[in-house]
Amino acid sequence: MKFNNSKYILLALSMLIGLSACNNDDDAMTSDDMMMSDDVIVMEPDFSGTYAQVDFMGRPGINTVLNADGAVKDAYNMAIPSEMVATFQAGFEARLEQYHDVYAMKLGLDPADVNYENNILGLDAATLTTVLAADVLQVAPDLPTTYFDPGTDFDNDGRILVPDGDEVALTGRLLTDDIIDVSLILLFGGMEGDRFSGQDLDNDGVSDLPRLTSDGVGLTANILTVFPYVSTPE
Amino acid sequence: MKKTTKLFAGLGVVLLAASVFVAADHIDAPGITGNSADIADFFAFEPETGSNNTVFVVDMQSNVLPELAYGTFAEDVLTEINIDLDGDLIEDLVIQAIPRDGRMYFFGPMSPTQTGLSGEVLVDAPLGDVAISDATATIETTDAGVSLFAGPRQDPFFFDFFQFQAVINPDVESAPGGFLPPDEAADTFDGANTMSIVVEIPNTLLGTPSATNALGLTVYNTWVTTNRKQ
Repeated sequence: MKFNNSKYILLALSMLIGLSACNNDDDAMTSDDMMMSDDVIVMEPDFSGTYAQVDFMGRPGINTVLNADGAVKDAYNMAIPSEMVATFQAGFEARLEQYHDVYAMKLGLDPADVNYENNILGLDAATLTTVLAADVLQVAPDLPTTYFDPGTDFDNDGRILVPDGDEVALTGRLLTDDIIDVSLILLFGGMEGDRFSGQDLDNDGVSDLPRLTSDGVGLTANILTVFPYVSTPE
Repeated sequence: MKKTTKLFAGLGVVLLAASVFVAADHIDAPGITGNSADIADFFAFEPETGSNNTVFVVDMQSNVLPELAYGTFAEDVLTEINIDLDGDLIEDLVIQAIPRDGRMYFFGPMSPTQTGLSGEVLVDAPLGDVAISDATATIETTDAGVSLFAGPRQDPFFFDFFQFQAVINPDVESAPGGFLPPDEAADTFDGANTMSIVVEIPNTLLGTPSATNALGLTVYNTWVTTNRKQ
């Protein structure tokens, strides 16, 4: 085996002679632990063998939302991004239309009359599902991170969500990003981002259109401003 | 607004059969659900504006539903952060993490021995290692400026997942109003914990990407996989 174990031997030696002050668990260190650390010297970690993919994730929610059934979801987790568009895009597009059909029926309308409309990025159904099926999380090394930030209404056209040149998007995913609402807006929001957002069209106090562009919840977990950013378990 | 509430009355208690699939990637498919290799979530971000580092957070497992596997990293599961620099959606670099005897060992970033569905631990490219934390975080920072963490953390994902299940239910009586207004919606993941692996790494160790996103901005294309020893 090619494994260069000098680093871990050094680590074990440092533990043995009590130089482990950089660990935060000093208080819990007992003589038994010190004996345990002896084992580290003789038991070099074994990393040998072949490892085969069992789960996959790029962008959040893609497999959950856009693959129709368990067999396809399982296949997706055994796939690689360079082959995903060819394998899964058509199913994504069919699933997107199926969601619209569900709401047509709930509204008492003909499913043929309620279809996906180009979204705030101007993408038609085929293009949107092609983008999403190339399922990687893109992160920019030199730009502020946001899954999607609509920016301001730079050109004062009243369409805050619609790209107008000052938006930054697809530069990563923050712990705080509301990726569900962004995804819902891209799938159901139409060109203005608010196509199905619980509108009361006749002002009778009752929503006439379903609320599909926001799930209504925000961040509840604590987030740290310093590494490791995710917070102490509850 | 009381009448609006009426629209949502009758939805009442919602389903939730055994075969639930939870976003973002939590329990997303039957073959991986409740399994120690189940990826719950993946984040990649700049830690602060102007930083020359990139942070990757991989959440494994989650106790958002009580019957799910949660609490330990499995030694036969290799977690791999894949990075495509040139935009062909094939990994040019991988960062690997695998636990042994209470520590998480990291390798890379380095070209994998082979791309695709299987691989080996890059034992010639150790990045560092860190004690797997209990409730108190133990952090290691390497001489190369790489920070490492592995252990239980709050699950930061938020989603009214139960209402989502009702929304996509084709039954015409199920959630005809769609999602709930903010004062009625509930974050299903509130109070859940997950097993997090966190790497903060200088961009100089990742190289300069030529891939671009849909807006033409230069990006790393990244994804995470879990891989089980054969």
